[in-house]
Amino acid sequence: MINELLIIIFAPLIAGVIAWALDIKGVREAVGLIGAAIPLAYLAKLYSTVLNEAVNYSVTVSGFTLQFQLNTMSWYFAAVASLVGLAMALGMASTSKSSYDWLFALMSYTGVLGVFLSQDFVGFFLLWEMMTFASFMMVIRRNKHESLKYFVLSVIGAYAMLIAIGILYAKTGALDFATIRQALYIDASLGAISTAETALIFGLFLTAFGVKAGAVPLHVWAPGAYSETDQSYTAFFSGALSKAGAYGFLLLYILMGYKLYAALGTFHGHLTFAYIIAWIGAITVVVAGFLAVLQEDIRKLFAYSSVSQVGYILLAFGLGSSLGFAGGLFHVLSHAVFKGLFWLVTAAIILQTGKTQFKDMGGLAEKMPFTFAMGLIAVLSLAGIPPLAGFASKWLIYEAAISAHMPLVAGAIFLGSGIAFAYVVRFLYAVWFGQRPSDLEDVKEAPLPLLIAMAILAIPNLLFGVAPGIVTKYLNRMLGGDIVGGDYYKLVTPTGTYNALLVTIALTIGLAIAGLVYLYGAKVRKIKVTNTYQSGNPVTEEFNLSIRKNFYRPLAEALEFWLKYSWDRFYERLAGIAEDFADSLRQSFYNGNVQSYSWYLAIVLLILALWGVL
Amino acid sequence: MLDWKLILEVIGMLIYATFMGFIFMGIERKAMARIQRRVGPPIYQPIIDTLKLLGKKESVTHGFIYDFGPVFALGASIAALLFIPLAGFRLFSANADLIVVAYLLEVPMLGIMLGAMSSGNPYSAVGVQRGLLTMVAMQLPYGLALIAIIQHWGTFKLNELVSLQQAHGWSILVPALFVAMIVFDIVFQAMLGLEPFDIITAPAEISMGPMVEYGGKHAALLFTQHAVQLFAETAFFVVLFLGGASNLLELLIKQIAVLFIAIFVASIYPRFTIDQAAKFFWKWPTILGIIAVLLTM
Repeated sequence: MINELLIIIFAPLIAGVIAWALDIKGVREAVGLIGAAIPLAYLAKLYSTVLNEAVNYSVTVSGFTLQFQLNTMSWYFAAVASLVGLAMALGMASTSKSSYDWLFALMSYTGVLGVFLSQDFVGFFLLWEMMTFASFMMVIRRNKHESLKYFVLSVIGAYAMLIAIGILYAKTGALDFATIRQALYIDASLGAISTAETALIFGLFLTAFGVKAGAVPLHVWAPGAYSETDQSYTAFFSGALSKAGAYGFLLLYILMGYKLYAALGTFHGHLTFAYIIAWIGAITVVVAGFLAVLQEDIRKLFAYSSVSQVGYILLAFGLGSSLGFAGGLFHVLSHAVFKGLFWLVTAAIILQTGKTQFKDMGGLAEKMPFTFAMGLIAVLSLAGIPPLAGFASKWLIYEAAISAHMPLVAGAIFLGSGIAFAYVVRFLYAVWFGQRPSDLEDVKEAPLPLLIAMAILAIPNLLFGVAPGIVTKYLNRMLGGDIVGGDYYKLVTPTGTYNALLVTIALTIGLAIAGLVYLYGAKVRKIKVTNTYQSGNPVTEEFNLSIRKNFYRPLAEALEFWLKYSWDRFYERLAGIAEDFADSLRQSFYNGNVQSYSWYLAIVLLILALWGVL
Repeated sequence: MLDWKLILEVIGMLIYATFMGFIFMGIERKAMARIQRRVGPPIYQPIIDTLKLLGKKESVTHGFIYDFGPVFALGASIAALLFIPLAGFRLFSANADLIVVAYLLEVPMLGIMLGAMSSGNPYSAVGVQRGLLTMVAMQLPYGLALIAIIQHWGTFKLNELVSLQQAHGWSILVPALFVAMIVFDIVFQAMLGLEPFDIITAPAEISMGPMVEYGGKHAALLFTQHAVQLFAETAFFVVLFLGGASNLLELLIKQIAVLFIAIFVASIYPRFTIDQAAKFFWKWPTILGIIAVLLTM
């Protein structure tokens, strides 16, 4: 009997390999789908077991003991990832025609699950690398430059992590989380690991997880990598894979929280290291939000938006209070479902129209009504309209940020949510409304598997919006305490309340009254888009009535000063300098001149002589 | 187990709020007229306007979302109103706190934008763009003002805010919160859509912006929405800074006081352009907001 945890982790990978090897149309989709559904089924089956006790499994491979554990926290992350993973597989059945995509998409799925379930650094790092490699292979197929940018940053992150693991191993002699945690806890009072070393380990881990989460200034890979791949896969890439970074930050708390507190102390009553994380999150929220508003490409817009939303999670974790963790963990779920939904909608649009620029689109709401409805749910959830899941999680983060006495960080969330409003409306306007370009006349509704995938992600948005208590009850259990009170429909924190069901009812009452006023009025007559007010002038089809380019030009002008500086250009320049340096090194040393090679020999001999060897 | 008293209160409050909202709109027009040495329309003029619009023989539509936008906006305004403690009538206010109400007060904007965008009119689009940029710009000082209040009183619950203020004096009597009130009042001007921040509708520039295509019953819905929203927002201001009210008359007096300040400011200032507004909001109100927040820490 093979252990259930191994099945959960490796089922997608095996399915991916089979789908790749067989490569028969129809079969590869079926195999892929089954492989993607297995983890979700097993996680559902293990739900009640996990609530009582953790499920453990360990295996020894080439001298290392790999430990896997399904506890309340890893179950939560794995369940979110596998939900998005199933939706991704359904979406890919429509959008992907190649077995190559199936192999690597499912491989990264395995990597993500493995990262969440690992209980030691060997497995964690191996599967982390598998996740990175597979997602890199997905991107390189379409765009080499962007994929290499992603790869180099990921490698920097991964090897920063490797160094940190190395230092930890040297200091504690252990690789599994439980022992390291124990050792660091004891060391907090002993102080055998100096403050500088602790700070170094913290900085290295921050780099490693910051890259995956897309924290500013390490976010530059995200816009390129998220857009230059199959958009159904991006649902997983940005919905679940970016959560590995967020999970890493949690791990940081679990492993070294107390030691970091002891070493770095507090700053104005906040934990210093948490304060740093909170500000990284706040800056990410605002910077990526502003960049999202100014994009002209649907994929770029959502890529920056995804970075911005993951910033919320980091910010919430950085607050350091249990309410903050609850808010951040809830946002992990709601971000996964609404952003996954967004990417599937994007996949449908790109599949059916073949266009990605806002300037080429418009008026699609009539052609793809179901996709539009799904897009609208995602928009309402992301913008934080009660009663949807996005609001419940943001509400918790607001409460936590203000209660934790970090007013400026909380101010950043206010600004961030205003910006989120602006960019989702940009998406609504440019894609769905207004005049339809004549080449989009024969666009059809998205194919069925993609529609099912969207529905799978739309339902949690509604369900956990109206009944956020389902999630918070689980989170209470995970975090060990009654952090968010209330029942299934009502959230109660020490300082505030939010009754989602009552808000829904009030909104329904309001809509009913407004609807009655509407019905009472006269009959309506439908007219064409071009039959419109144009300062009293006649309008014909040749006019372009929709503003499709530079929609937020005034904002770009107001931000002119800040937009002069770009991390993207900074990294490009850095890469250029490194390349030039490598070139000049090659030309000056390997110059083909025999005499200079003999000079090198002479210099080495001289050094050896001075050293006293000869 | 229906709570008939609550249901009656809700119905009564909705009728009262809509009616008073229209009267507020009338007061606004009347006061503006008097400031410019005109007689102005009677105070109940907005009600007549709305009834006239409802009585139109035919409305035109650009599709489902075009109809849904104004309905959604009015619905959300009504929902927001139900969660604000209005004098002795607490309605649903125990079930949602400041953050929820602050969000619900912004939702109608999305409804209007949604409908306006689906009309495909370029003037609407410019209006939508300006509206959202105003919102992005005002969000930071707005948030800081709210944070200052929460930090001072230590609660998010509107009911508790009211009782705390009745026990310890109004918010504006606290120096730090007085600064927050100034910030909020500047933002309030934009929330009500009055000069110098009436950039969204800007009648002289972009022919009413988002509302340009709306006529007939859609416009009537938007008028009603504006009335309810006006009532809800002034009540929100009173609850946050002026200690709430123990009866409807007190509430009304405070609401009108708030409204008059807004009208006086609006009648003497010309309109900002949108980029000026953004730069303005990110300068003085934000600085004052940060000061207020730091003073309450």
